[in-house]
Amino acid sequence: MKHVHIWVFYISLLIGFQSLLAQQAEERVVISDSLGVKEKTPLALRFGIDLSNLGRSRLSEDYNGFETVADLRVGENFYLATEIGRIETTKQVESVNFTSSGTYYKLGFDYNMFENWEGMDNQVTIGLRFASSSHELLLNSYTILDRTRFWPSSDFPITSGYATGVRPNLNAQWFEVVVGFKVQLIKNTYMGMSFRLNRLIDDKLPENFDNVFIPGFNKKTEDNNFGASLNYSLTYRIPFTKK
Amino acid sequence: MNKQKNGFLGLLVLLILFGCERDDICIETVTESPDLILLMLDFENPQNRKTPSGFSIRPIGIEKSLPKTPSDSLALPLKIQENNIQFEFITNQGSENENIDTLQINYQRFDTFINTACGYRSNFILDTPPALILNPGSNWIKGITVLKDTISDETRAHLGILH
Repeated sequence: MKHVHIWVFYISLLIGFQSLLAQQAEERVVISDSLGVKEKTPLALRFGIDLSNLGRSRLSEDYNGFETVADLRVGENFYLATEIGRIETTKQVESVNFTSSGTYYKLGFDYNMFENWEGMDNQVTIGLRFASSSHELLLNSYTILDRTRFWPSSDFPITSGYATGVRPNLNAQWFEVVVGFKVQLIKNTYMGMSFRLNRLIDDKLPENFDNVFIPGFNKKTEDNNFGASLNYSLTYRIPFTKK
Repeated sequence: MNKQKNGFLGLLVLLILFGCERDDICIETVTESPDLILLMLDFENPQNRKTPSGFSIRPIGIEKSLPKTPSDSLALPLKIQENNIQFEFITNQGSENENIDTLQINYQRFDTFINTACGYRSNFILDTPPALILNPGSNWIKGITVLKDTISDETRAHLGILH
């Protein structure tokens, strides 16, 4: 039921955009009519940035991230897709305060399921990515589990000593199922949004700690290997000259 | 216009849903940081436990009494921010031959990760010597023996006090 709702939402949003773009689309209909023949799908390279990372970096002092996105159209409805990013973030998650920083890449494909009218170029896609991160975790502070709290100041966070400090050379690998859409705003410029469900395959655990936040994967919870993320992309298609 | 409105509403709902992250909760059954388990032993016969007469314990540095009245075995809460605790061990309390021995117990702390919700659990290792009597002369405590120098649980006694 939830999935149906998400789809209904995507499509409704798309229709909203469509009415805005109707005029533009009409113009293009005329152009393709003048060509008269259905072209072979050309290779098209799109690249751009993820706006959600940019926005969060601006809004929060504890977050610094950047992600570039790109896809290459290799078939009628088939795109090779990649995302490469870098994130540094300081978080307080319940009893621990840590800084996670590192890079990641994601590589895979998107399959378009949206039937475009002549002259339109929008996508509703479902895709898959393999992703890998290389990161480090710095444990800034933590609290001790002590329910009785006999002595005062036993609930003060521990900021130094044996357990705090940096855990370098960590990594993680995961798969992402990506559902998303891209709408052509103006010629060769696309606005997109994607929702990702991540499934962790393997990760190198930090000593005496856990991979509580993996760049690109986001928060890892203790009892399941799923993560989720969202991305808003702005991409530009490098125009190939048509004959 | 209506469709656009629906679209924005949908986006808003999705953003709100993603704004909520599941928080882990530290479950009650997770064992907390252990206390030091002390046994009061008979000096003549160290295998046997013996409760001192008129026995009482007072922590130094806080106006608070131990959660349990002390007997031949007791649990002493350890400080996390410091590497020692001091307690007054009192025998024959209130009587003519009341005797107070001040005991300092020295240890090192090492913390192990439980999970993000519970944080870390403190474990301790007793120093050598594990305990000092701060008021030498006419002590009723005759000796101290280490039973287990690593304090990582409360299933076994760690320190024995001979009297």
